[in-house]
Amino acid sequence: MLGDIINPYHLQIISFILINIILGISIYITLSSGQLSLGNAGFMGIGAYTSALLTINFDLPIFLGIILGAVVAGVFGILIGIPALRLSGVYLAIATLGFGEVIRVIFVNWESITQGSIGLSGIPHLGRELFKTFKLTGFDPDMLGLKNNQFIYLLVVLILLLVNILLVWFFIRQNKSRVGRAFAAIKMDEKAAESMGINITYYKVLSFTQGAILAGFAGALYAHVMAYISPADFAYHRAIDILIFSIFGGSELIWGAIFGATFMTILPEALRFISDYRYMIYGVILIAMMAFRPQGIIDVSLLKWFKKKLKLKRGGSLGIGTKKYN
Amino acid sequence: MVLELKNITKNFGGISALTDVSFQINEGEIFGLIGPNGAGKTTLFNVITNMFPPTSGEIRFLGEKISGLKPHKITDKGICRTFQNIRLFSQMSVLENVLVGGHCRSKSGVINSVLRTKSQRKEETNSLEAALELLELVGLSKFQDSIAENLAYGQQRRLEIARALASNPKLLLLDEPAAGMNETETESLFDLIKKVQKRGVTVLLIEHDMPFVMKLCDRITVLNFGKKLAEGTPAEIQNNQEVIEAYLGAEEDDEIA
Ligand SMILES: Nc1ncnc2c1ncn2[C@@H]1O[C@H](COP(=O)(O)OP(=O)(O)OP(=O)(O)O)[C@@H](O)[C@H]1O
Ligand SMILES: [Mg+2]
Repeated sequence: MLGDIINPYHLQIISFILINIILGISIYITLSSGQLSLGNAGFMGIGAYTSALLTINFDLPIFLGIILGAVVAGVFGILIGIPALRLSGVYLAIATLGFGEVIRVIFVNWESITQGSIGLSGIPHLGRELFKTFKLTGFDPDMLGLKNNQFIYLLVVLILLLVNILLVWFFIRQNKSRVGRAFAAIKMDEKAAESMGINITYYKVLSFTQGAILAGFAGALYAHVMAYISPADFAYHRAIDILIFSIFGGSELIWGAIFGATFMTILPEALRFISDYRYMIYGVILIAMMAFRPQGIIDVSLLKWFKKKLKLKRGGSLGIGTKKYN
Repeated sequence: MVLELKNITKNFGGISALTDVSFQINEGEIFGLIGPNGAGKTTLFNVITNMFPPTSGEIRFLGEKISGLKPHKITDKGICRTFQNIRLFSQMSVLENVLVGGHCRSKSGVINSVLRTKSQRKEETNSLEAALELLELVGLSKFQDSIAENLAYGQQRRLEIARALASNPKLLLLDEPAAGMNETETESLFDLIKKVQKRGVTVLLIEHDMPFVMKLCDRITVLNFGKKLAEGTPAEIQNNQEVIEAYLGAEEDDEIA
């Protein structure tokens, strides 16, 4: 019965959504301190290649590879984040976009290691590797009424879902704290923030680096979900896609990035039946958005409205636990 | 002595905004800084907080040289300011603005914040209590959840004061706090600044409202074209011939303009 409803194609799309949500959060975090970075495709590539190469060449366990991918991307984040402090707005966007292109060109040209534009194949697959471990314990997906294939994709989705929940939890808590307030203060008025005792250098590099780590992490996951990567996966169109997740969904709140990533991943799939026009429709939606709702779909007032509705449904004054100062 | 300025000069390209300005502020004083438009008063605040460095000269705070420190370090040492053209975090709530003001008096980082450790929760509770008390002080308690930019002008000025006080300063710099306020608002501002003084905070205040300054300040320095023109008690300043001329001159200019 479970086997009848689980469709590997759908599971695959869900895992793309979940990876894109991480990418969306990565840019939301840098934006939350007022920095517009288009380098996240580059950081994603660094994470992907690091983990892929380590697991292929040195038989590193996947989970270690993924962590190292995120760490290496984070180190690059610090290295880029510090000089980037001198830039803001469009200048920062262009410089970070340039960084992404440099990274891509390195992947293309460093053929002895990266196989150039052909890309890396045979990357250990997250689901399959885990499945092997499960098999060793004597587990058989048949016990759940699932085919091997279904079980593998299901495993991937479950792991990604867990990761997503952890990340959202992490960043919501961070956001509601002294650190999140410092980010927001810098975004709204850098000079005033500095005058109020906030070390803007530290917090800007922190948020830039967190974004880089997340993008690298998502990249490493991507490598082990696709089992194949090439430099084209991390070109500038990816940087734009990532930006759109947050801008379309709304960059004020983490929910905006989540919604944007989900919607923007499903949309092209849903429009497959009119494949000739789908990118046109995609474009029209974006233009309409910028014209009628430039802050993105989900903003603070929408969230408030939602919360109010929820409270009414629960019969009034149940909102005691919601601390007002958050 | 809380603050000591020694021969402060500040040039912007060819313009000399401050020339060889020296004065000292004693502990617990309300010290006035007055002068016609463009005299260099705001520039002096920016130099004290090192928003930009002086061209030459030295600044000492509680006996320690602070020129050259980053602005956030200076706040940490105990100097905090408000802005002539209000610079609140406009999309944040009133309460959040004050909480940000307390940033340098707390220290929870990412890990503690995410894990909500005991020390972090205690710190948040303390910051919250301190912020609520300050909102009470400036009379904005009932607006704590309003978005800062929706406050009336006078309320925004008060919120800036509360935000600056949240950093627990020993020296508070107020840049034209009465600007744009009506008579009642100015009166309650007067009381507020007196209360702040009673809390042990030394105040350096720029203001154009002369009756207000003369009534409030213990001592006053007058700047004109970037130079110190006079210094003394309100009575001395009011009877200083040079000061009267500088102001009369400025007023005549205004009439012509
Ligand atoms: N960042 C800057 N760059 C260049 N010139 C500046 C800068 N800041 C101030 N000035 C100049 O320095 C002079 C003093 O300006 P300042 O703002 O300190 O005057 P003020 O006494 O505060 O005047 P007001 O009463 O109008 O606020 C002016 O001529 C101003 O144009
Ligand atoms: Mg001024």
